[in-house]
Amino acid sequence: MDDELLFEQRLHWWSDRRAELTLGAVVCAVLAGVVAMLVFVVVQGWPSFAHNGLAWFGSGGNVDQQIKDMFSAGASGSRDVYTFHAWPLIWSTLLIVGGAVTLSLVSSLFVAVFVVEFAPDWMKQTLHPVVRLLASVPSVIYGLIGVLVIVPFVGNHLITQAEKASVSHIISLSGYSLIAGVMILTVMISPLMIAIFADGLRSVPRHWLEASLALGINRWRTFWKVGVRAARPAIVAGTVLATARALGEAVMLAMVTGSVGFAPNPFDGAIFLFEPSRPLAATILQQVEGLSSAALKHTLFAIASVLLVSAMLLSLAGWAAKQPLKKYAAA
Amino acid sequence: MQSKRIGLAAVLSAFLLLSPAAASAKTLIGSGSSVAQPYLQSLFAAYHRVRPGISFLYTADGGNAGVKDVQSGRSQFAVNTRPPLPSDAGTTYVKLWLDGLCIYVNSQNKLSNLSIGELAGIFTGVSTSWSQFPGSGLSTTIDAVGRDSTAGTFSFFTAAVLNGQTQGSNVNTQASDGLVANAIKHDPNSIGYAGLARAKDPGLKKVNVNGVACAPAFVKTLKYPLSRFVWMVFPTASPDLDVQKFTDWARTSVQAGEIITKVGAVPAFNKTAHKHKKHKKH
Amino acid sequence: MSAHAATGPTSLPARTGAVESSATWRLSDRVGLAICWLLGGLFCAIAAAIVIFMLVQGIKYVRPSLFVTSPTAGFSESQTGGFLDPLIGTVVVALLGTAIALPLGVTIAVWLSEYGRPFALARAAESVVEMLAGIPDIVLALFGLLIFSSPILGFFSRTSGHVVFGRSFFAAGAMLSLVALPLIVGSTREGLQAIPAHIREASLGVGKTRFATIRRILLPTARPSVITGTMLGLGRIIGDTAIIVVLLGATLTINQGGSTPVLGVLKGTGSTLTSFIYQNSPTGEIDQPTKAYAAAFVLLVMVLALNLCVDLVGRRKKDVTWSS
Repeated sequence: MDDELLFEQRLHWWSDRRAELTLGAVVCAVLAGVVAMLVFVVVQGWPSFAHNGLAWFGSGGNVDQQIKDMFSAGASGSRDVYTFHAWPLIWSTLLIVGGAVTLSLVSSLFVAVFVVEFAPDWMKQTLHPVVRLLASVPSVIYGLIGVLVIVPFVGNHLITQAEKASVSHIISLSGYSLIAGVMILTVMISPLMIAIFADGLRSVPRHWLEASLALGINRWRTFWKVGVRAARPAIVAGTVLATARALGEAVMLAMVTGSVGFAPNPFDGAIFLFEPSRPLAATILQQVEGLSSAALKHTLFAIASVLLVSAMLLSLAGWAAKQPLKKYAAA
Repeated sequence: MQSKRIGLAAVLSAFLLLSPAAASAKTLIGSGSSVAQPYLQSLFAAYHRVRPGISFLYTADGGNAGVKDVQSGRSQFAVNTRPPLPSDAGTTYVKLWLDGLCIYVNSQNKLSNLSIGELAGIFTGVSTSWSQFPGSGLSTTIDAVGRDSTAGTFSFFTAAVLNGQTQGSNVNTQASDGLVANAIKHDPNSIGYAGLARAKDPGLKKVNVNGVACAPAFVKTLKYPLSRFVWMVFPTASPDLDVQKFTDWARTSVQAGEIITKVGAVPAFNKTAHKHKKHKKH
Repeated sequence: MSAHAATGPTSLPARTGAVESSATWRLSDRVGLAICWLLGGLFCAIAAAIVIFMLVQGIKYVRPSLFVTSPTAGFSESQTGGFLDPLIGTVVVALLGTAIALPLGVTIAVWLSEYGRPFALARAAESVVEMLAGIPDIVLALFGLLIFSSPILGFFSRTSGHVVFGRSFFAAGAMLSLVALPLIVGSTREGLQAIPAHIREASLGVGKTRFATIRRILLPTARPSVITGTMLGLGRIIGDTAIIVVLLGATLTINQGGSTPVLGVLKGTGSTLTSFIYQNSPTGEIDQPTKAYAAAFVLLVMVLALNLCVDLVGRRKKDVTWSS
């Protein structure tokens, strides 16, 4: 009898109105928390932007020296210490992420077409779970393979002594280089792109492809001109996702790109590929112990807000790129 | 039914949340030198056996970073490997033990001696090829490995070897002492500076500086040019008493002296166990 | 009748042996096909190389003793112990992150799909969750470090005097839950939206309140989606390194902050398999690649197991049919 009474009471207590308000309150709280976090990061980074203005994104001085000065100033220090020109870090990020995403986009498209269409059936069956597995491998394992396999290979077999000697006054070339970072990042984001592209290609309406074949267009053209074209929203989505992941990759790139705030110079010829650098996310990871210095703290949060805004702009760009493609949405 | 459930929940939360009456357990939070970390780990463990209520949490982020942490209140104590500077205002430095900053090369390198001037040349980017040092038996480019500015060792090296010049951009900076040792182990063309504790590593080879070997015997008499003290740093205003007690124990007790010797450095003020050893001092 | 290959309804019909020969194609098409095969083959080779390499290295270096010994400081392989503490750390951090993310994620998904008024709030919630999915984890780690080092949240980590250490399992678990949240929300929403409207109407028709419908009918039915989302989130939590390296305080063994059984561990510091691999790689302090390979192998096996579970749960979900 007690149970029945309690059941009635419970029924009335959890009325829909109360439930909706409670759930809504939880959603509001989480929303407010996340928005507060974003605002906090930008506000903490503001002093660094305020002092440098647009020159924050420019070049000027040795970025490592500027970080050192900020660190040495400690909790106090003049405003001059906020000087920071992040161009070497931004350039490094652009090179590594841009290079990896471009390479990955081109190759993933072909591989996705291969996996969905042109591969023999037995290969298709095995590749499907393999791609999914590779997409979920933690980045630190890719970093491990990079440091133990790619970096020694680049250091011992690709960099010649003459090249090393020619720049030895400025930087030391070892296997920790731009090309190692780009290679590993490509291998890391490719499975993600391939998985999304393949899903998109698989959801192209079959009758579109059959109609094209019936008109006498060969298999390659059918798939390329009709299938890939129709799957463009998925291609955009996959590229945006992979770029966001590459942008935020800190640990793996900190392991393989060498940690020097150096802007690789394309005019150096072949040496350009072997120059060490340090992208934005890796900079945050490596300087995170210097939070006790006010200037360094504001600078690190400024870098974090640049990453945040880039991630937001990326998803906005993805959304914008998908709008004109809406007419290709599969029926 | 429901009251039973509430009762059970209350008991469970009490069990989980309330700490037992033996609340004298205390954690001391510190940060600083990575050179000192091998010594500190053993010293913390030994001190915990002497005073079971005290445990330590130490972050090796570099000597200079440790001092900044103490200044900003993020650590209760720090360990640094350079003497105090004016920028360390608000902190008190106490000497702990003597360490030598050794110059290491890869074990395949046959170099045996360097002068301070030659060392400065390597670490400012003036000398870049091993062919300039015939004793090494190599003719490849020098890969110099060093520390970054969070390290007290970096400040000491800049003052003692580079005479105030900045470390060259050709030097591959590493975040800790252990990372410098690892980098040298992997690269036959490398040279770098790290503490005495790394001398036990079979992949590294010590190089004499100005003809003097980096060994405890020479560090003790300060004959080795790069001998330096390891310092304990704590805030001048209201330092923690337990930190000071630990400092005294580490500086003066016999047990701490034995640990320091075993890991590789030279106790400076510790009492020794056997009386007759005192007569062997010169 | 030609047999259809088991490759789904939207791929081309099964080949009966008569493949369209590419001899009659234009050169550009043949080059395209050749590149396709080349890159596809290259991808297979690289994938096989990675998988086989990690497998071989793992089997070479994994020993049962590693699972039960704690890591210790030392110079050589035999001195540095195993990875018991990182393994426990991974489990603790995964449980904590999921425990926080699951209720929050399901709540948000339920509210978005069943209630969703006012519309502005619903759209804002959708955008924020999507934005959360794209935030780099290093930014979350940096933010977490700052707020957990403040005295207000001092309870969640070890404190001494007025110094708050700021790094603990609590801090890492809280930030990792943010990483898993979007996956749980997305998957649960999909599962709830796949339930046809007439189920809800029938339930309301027999007199149950909306909330009771959700609790008794919709959520149990959407359970496979919730489980899928949780496993995806778990996979992401286990694989995260940046937040662990920054927020867990890199102690080799689990360092309890206080002597209470569960709370002490949560307030304390430790390591996980990912930070263990990071420390044992040549760019890390300990530099014992054999241990790194062993830990990487264990991590890969965990990720593989999670993927398999997601597959199994997904397969069972397809068996649910709605009669209408």
